[in-house]
Amino acid sequence: MRTIRHDAVIIGGGPAGLAAAAELDRLGVHDVLVIEREKQPGGILRQCIHEGFGLARYGEALSGPEYAQRLIDELTSRGMKVMTDTTVLSLSQDRALTVVSREGIARIEAGAVILAMGCRERTRGALAIPGERPAGVYTAGVAQAYMNLYNRMIGRRAVILGSGDIGMIMARRLTLEGAQVEGVYEIMDTPSGLPRNISQCLDDYGIPLNLSHTITEIHGGARVTGVTVSAVDAQLKPVPGTQRYIPCDTVILSVGLIPENELSLEAGIALDPRTRGALVDEHLQTGCPGVFAAGNVLHVHDLADDASLEAEAAARSAAAYLRGELPCCGVSVVCGAGVRYALPQRVSGGQDVPLALRVSRAMGPCSIVLRQAGREIGRKRVIRALPAEMIHVTLKADQIGGCEEIEVSAE
Amino acid sequence: MCVRLYDVIIIGGGVVGSAIARELARYRLSIAVMEKNPDIVCETSGRNSGVVHGGFAYDPGTLKAKLCVEGNQGMDALAKELGFRFLRCGKVLVGRTQEEYESLQRTMAQGAVNGATGLSLIGRDELRRICPEAVGEFAMYSSTSGVLDPFGYTVAIAENAAANGVRYHLCHQVTGLSRRDGLWHVQTTKGAYAARYVVNAAGLGCGVISDMLGITGYRVIGSKGDYIILDKHTGPLLPMPIYPVPSNTYMGIHVTNTTDGNVIVGPNAEMTEDFAYYGVPQRNIDYLAESASQIWPHIHKQDYIRNYSGILPKWVDENGVIQDFKIEMKPEIAPNAVNLVGIESPGLTAAVPIGRMVARMLRECEAFEENEAFNPVRRPIVRFAELTDEERADLIARNPDYGEIVCRCEQVTRAEILQAIHNPLGVQTVSGVKLRTRAMMGRCQGGYCQMRIAQMMEEELGLPPQALISSREGAYLFEGEMRKGGGCA
Amino acid sequence: MNRSLTCIVCPNGCTITAELDEHGAVCALSGAACPRGEAYARQEIERPMRMIASSVRVTGGAAPLVSVRMTKPIPKGEIMRVMEAIRSASVPAPVAAGDVIIADVLGLGSDVIATRSIDQKAV
Repeated sequence: MRTIRHDAVIIGGGPAGLAAAAELDRLGVHDVLVIEREKQPGGILRQCIHEGFGLARYGEALSGPEYAQRLIDELTSRGMKVMTDTTVLSLSQDRALTVVSREGIARIEAGAVILAMGCRERTRGALAIPGERPAGVYTAGVAQAYMNLYNRMIGRRAVILGSGDIGMIMARRLTLEGAQVEGVYEIMDTPSGLPRNISQCLDDYGIPLNLSHTITEIHGGARVTGVTVSAVDAQLKPVPGTQRYIPCDTVILSVGLIPENELSLEAGIALDPRTRGALVDEHLQTGCPGVFAAGNVLHVHDLADDASLEAEAAARSAAAYLRGELPCCGVSVVCGAGVRYALPQRVSGGQDVPLALRVSRAMGPCSIVLRQAGREIGRKRVIRALPAEMIHVTLKADQIGGCEEIEVSAE
Repeated sequence: MCVRLYDVIIIGGGVVGSAIARELARYRLSIAVMEKNPDIVCETSGRNSGVVHGGFAYDPGTLKAKLCVEGNQGMDALAKELGFRFLRCGKVLVGRTQEEYESLQRTMAQGAVNGATGLSLIGRDELRRICPEAVGEFAMYSSTSGVLDPFGYTVAIAENAAANGVRYHLCHQVTGLSRRDGLWHVQTTKGAYAARYVVNAAGLGCGVISDMLGITGYRVIGSKGDYIILDKHTGPLLPMPIYPVPSNTYMGIHVTNTTDGNVIVGPNAEMTEDFAYYGVPQRNIDYLAESASQIWPHIHKQDYIRNYSGILPKWVDENGVIQDFKIEMKPEIAPNAVNLVGIESPGLTAAVPIGRMVARMLRECEAFEENEAFNPVRRPIVRFAELTDEERADLIARNPDYGEIVCRCEQVTRAEILQAIHNPLGVQTVSGVKLRTRAMMGRCQGGYCQMRIAQMMEEELGLPPQALISSREGAYLFEGEMRKGGGCA
Repeated sequence: MNRSLTCIVCPNGCTITAELDEHGAVCALSGAACPRGEAYARQEIERPMRMIASSVRVTGGAAPLVSVRMTKPIPKGEIMRVMEAIRSASVPAPVAAGDVIIADVLGLGSDVIATRSIDQKAV
């Protein structure tokens, strides 16, 4: 088997991986390999043909393919290439990868690794939606790929389960293509997607958003013929007597994204059960030295901009690691009341650290409060806090005293 | 009108029909299998626990007992010959009470009479040793029990039958049988055929076909069982199936390891007359998890990857008591016909012995000539995921399609998908590819690869987009092209 | 009379409250975090405009579709008519990102442009 060595290897050529590659080159790490399993780089952006990407990074509203192209162009201008059509089969603790392509199998030894594999969609089976198993049940991303990349019309009358952003975007997409979208059904009492998508994807087209509702049965022996929806109570249990049958031929699931961490698990990298991504320190370094994680493989982001900016931070850390300059991180960051997760989970106390967090439930005007040993060391006021919207807070190094854990809460 | 004439027409292409076809292919006969579905594993053969039973659970003297023991004993050789996945991992029936202990003693004794080997009653310590996560004070251990891949097994038998000349007619539902001029005339939804002999191996349709043969009076009811499939990372916690102590008629909700490293939980048992409804209600999902958690404490919702259900055809008497397999010839009513009724569990284990028995019955009617060209060996699709890196490198050097991973979760390559698309039975469904390769069966359930596989099927088979179906007729994936005339990616 | 809007200009999605006079004209705005949000709210109340994205058929291309978007927002009420124009359009490969696929669609002052490049199909 061929063995090759690179200073840095990035697994995944989506927005995070591409941005990390360019940043490494910018920092003088030129021996960088980006590995992408698909024929073209760009990741999920390739199928996100709607506009609204890049407001932070480029100051304009681009479509997904345009955003991807900007990142690819940046690599091209630096003389960098992405190794496409190549799948990583395994990753080890000592940063050795096995990769496969039509050319064969190769072993790659990396000075540093950045995990940028993105995420996958939660499926019907994972929710255990009762009923039959007809054709016509698609996750939103699969529906999006069929329509936007493969030129396939997936149905004429759709019900959407879950109010994730891709589900709402597909509600609009289907409507624009002449399909009837009967409604979006969300089991929680707050939407999981962004408010502006509710406005421009649902409200604009008169598509009802039904909160605290779920599909309690899927009907159809061959193709979907309809669904039964029910209201749910505070424990998310269906309320008897509220069932309603809706005829449809298509069910779109937009019920959550899960970081794709099979390679990380195999390498023995510890994950945070809250994010389902790796536990990382302020350098975005995982429990495995020299292996960094960024983008949706670390935690699911709202925006490609956030994922790519995070990847650039991981690239800076990887460059510092290659120079042997990463300080160790002994202070834990834990979640307090009202916070679903906060990242990174460990900090050094030696520098200011941007924390990313999500609240566990919708709140109006509130404060994100940082405390160490009962002492308040930071506070950020927000006019609203939604689980759908990631919140960023800076943890100030000069406020951190000692090694006691830092608790993040929403009050 | 020109009617295609065969020596033997077998109605039903499931594991039993295919095993009969394969046994008959050892003789110089023209044989056809009429299968109403677009694939052969759409019903009972593909919807079960995949357990190879030891034969201790059936009343002594029954065909179920005899054919199950015979099937169990032959399974290693068969798996080798046909290249399907079989693990003789053993299984345990766990109990807690004195009553259950006595019940297991009776089961042991019954097993001994049936000729089932490898049975022992074990205490708590031994149970901890062989199956550490099982919950119970004692157990009956059956070392000869095992698990197989029910899809791979059924497909292997059928493909070997096809390779030996058996013709599979898919989407051919038999709608009428009549006897004229010493022949059976077989009406199907896709045209008329004739045969010198017919075999009813119609599974859930056995009662209907039996009536068509003129052998009336069988009452066949369905026993529907639901299952939950768990993620592969639960697999290491279950080295062998764990069952509760069985009642007379029902094995109980168990947890079963699969040959691919998943765990399946189920089945419950509900009587049904609707043989086409495979819905899984919420209450059953909850009940399965709750019930099986008492014998194995690792069932968590975050590990669910899919649920499914299956229906067993049970022949019952007027009091509803479940009967033995019925495998009969009634020359006075239906000459040259073998009628199989109520082939339920342990039909998967017993399929090949059933096939041999049916072949023997027909040979008693007529001395068939041996088919010297019969080749019992079938080579399965080589699975990239199971090879060493050296083997993989060799394979890719010979066929670069083995270097292109299509399904990431299960590491299925383009080469494997292509072989499945061009399968020997001519199955053209998406789930046909799935069941033959495991592509789309992993944790993402096709989220990453199904678009590519659909596109490959359209291209390889020359299908228009609206002709692509998942598993049944009418289960279309697409309305058609979104922009007409644009083709696919 | 008050009207509440969710701003769609950026992911912040500010909730903007507009105070309207008896003719429906905007007297005052609150809740927008930036001037673009205020401009959006005025526009939305007077004449709502939208960007849309879709796909156009490609002939002879390595892919069947090219993704497209508008260069300028179009009146909300014209969305379905513009979609009709997009649906019936067709473009031969190769297509370069930025190519104008439909100039000044329906005379609305906005072009439909390609957002990715499509090579010719390899023979």
